[in-house]
Amino acid sequence: MSYIIEIKHITKEFKVLNRHEGLKGSLKDLFSRDYRIVRAVDDISMNIAQGEIVGYLGPNGAGKSTTIKMMTGILQPSSGEIVVNGQIPYKNRTRNAKEIGVVFGQRSQLWWSLPLVESFKLLRDIYEVPEAEYRAMLDLYRSLVDIESLLHKPVRQMSLGQRTLSDILAAFLHNPKIVFLDEPTIGLDVSMKAKIRTLIHALNREKQTTVILTTHDMGDVDALCRRIVIIDKGKMLYDNDIEHLKRFFGSYRTLKIRMDGDLQQSAEAIAQQMPEFRVSADTDWISVLVDEEQASVMAVLARLQERYRIRDMQLEEISTEAVIKKIYEEGTQ
Amino acid sequence: MKWKKYLSLTRAGILEALQYRLGLFVMVIGNLIYLIIVYFLWRAIYASAGTDVVNGMTFSDTLIYLVLATALFAFMEMYIVWEMGRSIQTGAITLTLLKPMSYRSYSFWNCAGGVIVQFFCTFLPTFLVVLLVTKGAIPLGINLLYFAVSVILSVSINFSIDLFVGTICMYTESIWGINIMKQVVVLLLSGATIPLAFFPEPLKTIAYCLPFQSIYNAPLSLLLTANPQPSVIAETLGMQLVWSIVTMGFSRLFWQVSLRRITVNGG
Repeated sequence: MSYIIEIKHITKEFKVLNRHEGLKGSLKDLFSRDYRIVRAVDDISMNIAQGEIVGYLGPNGAGKSTTIKMMTGILQPSSGEIVVNGQIPYKNRTRNAKEIGVVFGQRSQLWWSLPLVESFKLLRDIYEVPEAEYRAMLDLYRSLVDIESLLHKPVRQMSLGQRTLSDILAAFLHNPKIVFLDEPTIGLDVSMKAKIRTLIHALNREKQTTVILTTHDMGDVDALCRRIVIIDKGKMLYDNDIEHLKRFFGSYRTLKIRMDGDLQQSAEAIAQQMPEFRVSADTDWISVLVDEEQASVMAVLARLQERYRIRDMQLEEISTEAVIKKIYEEGTQ
Repeated sequence: MKWKKYLSLTRAGILEALQYRLGLFVMVIGNLIYLIIVYFLWRAIYASAGTDVVNGMTFSDTLIYLVLATALFAFMEMYIVWEMGRSIQTGAITLTLLKPMSYRSYSFWNCAGGVIVQFFCTFLPTFLVVLLVTKGAIPLGINLLYFAVSVILSVSINFSIDLFVGTICMYTESIWGINIMKQVVVLLLSGATIPLAFFPEPLKTIAYCLPFQSIYNAPLSLLLTANPQPSVIAETLGMQLVWSIVTMGFSRLFWQVSLRRITVNGG
């Protein structure tokens, strides 16, 4: 099987000036040659197939943007190999550019003061999209979202949600093989987030576009990605299916129960009775984090029922968010 | 087909410039005020000189020259240095770098739109007013053609210098001071604020050796001379062509080296 993106052991190092404190230090810095090497990306390898949606996750400053900049050809890796769509991106940046689309959630590639349709026409000409394909793409867009109201609106008058939506449409307009989405849902309301997720999903399915998605919103990941890649401090922590991720951390589920009396005291009693599980209590619920490899939730519930009168119960699957949080904090060990 | 993307960029530049009507009016008014200052300043200079002709130029010669130079400046200013500075600081430049064309042609053709709008809004009206008011001080003949060719070369030189200065921003990450310095140097040494004829001899020699005089002095002297010698035309345009190629080469080289530094060292 051939891959659209092949990354082999890439590393990226930056030279950073060691800055000193205070006025004296700042003056010294003007002439300083005291550099330190910062390794932003450290030996990362991955292969991505055509049509995949990959969630590229990691805490702030993990090296995600640096990796993406290397994939787009803006940065050259210090070592290692990277092939995107059969080309080495930093050597053929402009040629590579024709086959990729980008959305940076924080900034727009649209022409600020012009109606959206002018940006579309301009992108059509810049990417040399044939008229028929352009029209077909617009028809596809029409079938997915209501763009008629947006097309003749100047971008500066759009809400953030409308602008992001437009930016995503603009990135897909020349039917690129790969689209990089960098925090596309940042700052959007719940319904707009859902709309954008549906759109990305539909475009991926229709056009078999490979999507590399970086986000801090696990809702995006749950809605879109089957595969996720996690990096931290430049190092690869995880690269696999999202289902696998949960199993990878043991099959945890949270059993929540409500009962009469002082919840705090009861929780302590339960913790003594079941030292193998983590028990906590808030004002309404007692939570027991059950590792299903040790005991099934039903068995735990049965044991609790022998001693307590349970008035209500809830079962919570461990969320992607919780797993990711655990990985960010503790790593994969 | 190949040119379509460039023309499309220029078209967008025109549309964008036209969006800001108020800005265009303010620009015209600002230029008017500047011209009034120029008028009184030079009237005072001529009054204190006590003669009608200073350095071979009469008061009206000087005034026509400066008015047209101001109009030419307003029309050719592409604000590329600001634009580059801002996009480098904010990182928005990555979006332009990810377009399937070189940064250089992208910004040139996009800015060309603004230049065209400015031509019609500032240069052409000023030119017509000067033409009517002075009644024949500007010869209307073949010199207009030379002027047109010369202006195109000026735009090219001006663009290359702007791009060169803008590239410095990749290293300094601040642009204000550099841009102000550039503007002062260019406006002075190009003869846009003071006609080169007024320069002391050594400075004049230096100015003629630099590319800047090719931006304003060259097209204006071609415009204001009724029947220039063919040798003068050839020399002026030839000089401009050479500078246009040299500045293009340097700015392109500097940009590529800097971009390479960014891709290797990160920015």
